Amino acid sequence: MSLSASQNRAGLALIAPASILAIIFLIAPLSSILVLAFTDYQLGDRSLRFIGFENFQALIDDPVFWKSLSNTLIYSAVVVPGSMLLGLVSALLIDAGTSLRSFYRTAFFMPVMASLLAMAIVWEFMLHPSFGIVNTTAKALGFASHNWLKDGDIALYVLAVIGIWQSFGFNMVLFMAGLSAIPRDLYDAAELDGTPHAWERFRLITWPLLAPVAVFVAITSAIRSFQVFDTVHALTQGGPNKATEVLLYTIYAEGFEFFRSSHAAAITIVFILLVVSVSLLRFVSLKKNGEGA
Amino acid sequence: MRTILTAAALSLMASAAMADTTTITVQYAYPELFDTTQKEMLEAFSKKHPDIKVEFRTPYKDYEDAAQRVLREGITGNVPDVTFQGLNRVRVLADKEIAVPLDDFIANETDFDAAGYHDGMRQAGAVDGKVYGLPYAISLPIVYYNMDLVKKAGLDENSLPKTWNDIIALAKKIEAQGEADGIETEWAITGNWLWQALVFANGGTMLNEDETKVAFDGEAGKQAIGTLARLVIEAQSPNMTPNEMLAAFSAGKIGMMVTTTARVNAVTKQIGGKFELKTGNYPDLKEGVSRLPAGGNVAIITAKDKDKQKAAWEFLKFATGPEGGAIMVKTTGYMAPNTKAADLLKDFYAENPNQAVALSQLPYLTGWYAFPGDNGLKITDVIKDRLQSVMDGSRAEEAEAVLADMAADTQALLPRR
Repeated sequence: MSLSASQNRAGLALIAPASILAIIFLIAPLSSILVLAFTDYQLGDRSLRFIGFENFQALIDDPVFWKSLSNTLIYSAVVVPGSMLLGLVSALLIDAGTSLRSFYRTAFFMPVMASLLAMAIVWEFMLHPSFGIVNTTAKALGFASHNWLKDGDIALYVLAVIGIWQSFGFNMVLFMAGLSAIPRDLYDAAELDGTPHAWERFRLITWPLLAPVAVFVAITSAIRSFQVFDTVHALTQGGPNKATEVLLYTIYAEGFEFFRSSHAAAITIVFILLVVSVSLLRFVSLKKNGEGA
Repeated sequence: MRTILTAAALSLMASAAMADTTTITVQYAYPELFDTTQKEMLEAFSKKHPDIKVEFRTPYKDYEDAAQRVLREGITGNVPDVTFQGLNRVRVLADKEIAVPLDDFIANETDFDAAGYHDGMRQAGAVDGKVYGLPYAISLPIVYYNMDLVKKAGLDENSLPKTWNDIIALAKKIEAQGEADGIETEWAITGNWLWQALVFANGGTMLNEDETKVAFDGEAGKQAIGTLARLVIEAQSPNMTPNEMLAAFSAGKIGMMVTTTARVNAVTKQIGGKFELKTGNYPDLKEGVSRLPAGGNVAIITAKDKDKQKAAWEFLKFATGPEGGAIMVKTTGYMAPNTKAADLLKDFYAENPNQAVALSQLPYLTGWYAFPGDNGLKITDVIKDRLQSVMDGSRAEEAEAVLADMAADTQALLPRR
């Protein structure tokens, strides 16, 4: 298995472009973040001082950071199952129906493609406490109206609903791709064997064969929901009273509004660890599935 | 060899020609608001100073972007020669030695005060007693009235509120009509601008003289937080985001709104013909006691080269002077801090009385206070969060306890000396 020297050189030359790009755009920025997290640097400073773990110590004592971390996890815990379930149900319904399939597909996929920032402004009008369509409808139907974005108890969940609305179309497309890969004759065989109920067919055939896709969808949804920023920035700015503060928004505010760059770098490290650990899950599950198949 | 010599000779000639005209680069924020303004101003400036060539850099998106970029450029050394920044960012730029102090330039001017660059205007761009910028486009807090709702409540333009008591009384009357909320303040704007207005108007300050201790928890601050609490408890001020407030006011769902003058143009347009809009002075202003913080932006010299600094100073004087101010007011809706600018704008203000209201508040003008130290901007966020708990009603009944918490939070973030 030993390679000749020229083969080695050719190999190195071939990976050079990719590695150089990775170093410039990935490794270098990441390592500078890592270094910054251990300094007292503020944007605009001409010098910096290493202060060890002080920034991380400050994070532990910072209630805003903990609030931000737990909000991010709560948001994910709502958005991931919500967008998966809605994505799966709509994929199954579209797959089962025969008419207007491409219309539904496009309609449900629309929120994924639309600019979330522009859509956030539409949501803001719909959720307006005194004349938004949500409250006027609720009043007409006899339900209590709410100040959706300014009520600390519900604001985060309102954002999560917008998050589900925005992302389920993407999951739907992935599930539809998964469904189309399931051989039709399995269903025919099931019918012959006497499982006429749709639910039984789903439980015995669709779901087991869709499982690898589902794991993939769950993990990408989780990573994407950790990255929630646009709606928070446009609608609540982390408020009221940090009720909707999420990690990316905290990083943005610390780094670019308060200029506490080293503080922001420390939170970024935490954020990266979170995303990497979920990505590792995906790696492990893919490996397992790969072996199983 | 010959070509090199010719090239050297040519470049010498070029630099000799350059000595006659100085080129300065200028960068401003909010292109959608200031593109026309800056273009018109440049035309007028070039006529007066043909020896100074002004080049604009691509404008900053907003004040955050402006401060970030100039801070980064401060490290790499390619700052513009003049930069327009949000008024509460002057301190950061002074601390990081990016802004050039203007005191020597001002000392060399004769009759600077008489030309309209009054003391309040210089204070607005001052840090630790040194002037680092001259305010360009400024805004002050005023009250917006929906006159249809005011009239239904039994008042007219001659009996508009002058005090917070009047405002709360009127808010209750508007509320009683059942059509709209009485009053909403844009208390959250930039985190603490309106809070500063409330405290300054009562004669208070944010910190003590040597900036080591919180001072807004004194009598002026107690009164200020008390006013906010009364708005929530007595006047039932709704809990809205700034955007929601603007939409609701323009839709005729709020009777009064307290916010910056900079919104007059946009609000007038949004209202269209739905109802009559009138603006009125900020309440309870007491001569000699009250001051109001200027919002808006400030022109700062960042050039390091002496000649460029001189040219930049000419540009600064023009932009913040009567002529530049007049152009800016006509094209934006902000106010010009220079007292002589108003003389050139008599016709404009006669036609736009809603914009003229804030002019009478110019004598109260003071700086938009920036907290000292590395956590200066973080402090504004802490204040905003504490105010939130009064404004959403959750702690309105114990407003003074909130004030004490706010003071403790702020104190913890101040630099320890």
